[in-house]
Amino acid sequence: MTRQSPPRWLEHALIFLLSPRDRETIAGDLLEEYREEQAPRLGALRANLWYLRQSISFLSIRSTGGPPVKAALTWVSVATALAGIWLAVMENILKHAGYGARTAVAASIVAEALGTLVFLMLDGRFVFRLIILAGAAALGALGISAIARNFTREHFEGFVLIVGCLLIAQAAMTFAVVLRGHHPKAV
Amino acid sequence: MPCRQGLNLRLDTVRTIAYNVDIVAELLGAFEQAVLLAVWKLAEDAYGRGILRGVQSALDREVTAGAVYATLDRLEQKNLIASRLEEGTPVRGGRVRRYYRVTGVGVKALNESKAALEQMWRGARWPLESNA
Repeated sequence: MTRQSPPRWLEHALIFLLSPRDRETIAGDLLEEYREEQAPRLGALRANLWYLRQSISFLSIRSTGGPPVKAALTWVSVATALAGIWLAVMENILKHAGYGARTAVAASIVAEALGTLVFLMLDGRFVFRLIILAGAAALGALGISAIARNFTREHFEGFVLIVGCLLIAQAAMTFAVVLRGHHPKAV
Repeated sequence: MPCRQGLNLRLDTVRTIAYNVDIVAELLGAFEQAVLLAVWKLAEDAYGRGILRGVQSALDREVTAGAVYATLDRLEQKNLIASRLEEGTPVRGGRVRRYYRVTGVGVKALNESKAALEQMWRGARWPLESNA
């Protein structure tokens, strides 16, 4: 009989979130619990949700393992990535003039946010850190520019203010984490 | 003279308890105690899955794996538990298991935390009623 397993991408996501020391042991424990208890009791869908919830718990634990600014940066990056995705989707639905360029900007925001998350999970190399810093500087400038333009526009948009603040916060925290060496060490 | 000896004894006891309370406050939070106790209760079978269930059962609520493993990590760094690796089984895809055991320091910390809690509650009738 074939044993039930969580989706492969979910297993990979969990392994990605774990430190090298814990990858085999924790992934094994959760797979064992999934197969022997959760899947037979809850069914595949709810067992997958259970596995997803456990995996997400490692995201917050991993991010709170270090200084508070690292934890905050993790969640701000998640929020920024979601905001970027939302912006890109809305631009492509509304298709106002110049939407292509704005979609590209939104995609860059998502890329920087995801890059920052990867940086926080792994011990970033020097070149990677430089790229992340350059991206953070661009995000900060974009955030300031968006907020400034929002105040001079005819219609003030609350969403732009929130996203602008997010971008500035992410830029400031990225600089704080990278320059102070507050990045996770490989275990 | 016997009276003075008695006084000295009492003072020593108070000092010891005060010292222990400090140690416990520094070392063990409530969740850490729950994890440490789960490891101790499971003895030779203390690995992640069982510990997770043990903590859930002790606290009578759903607990995420991330919280438990982070606590295990912290307890190990404090030398309250130690771990060893053992071969995995097919059900876990052959992945190794990490077994934990409570160290002597860990047992001492647990005992101290229990003693400190009892000391703190001495003289108070449970459940407490409002003073107002």
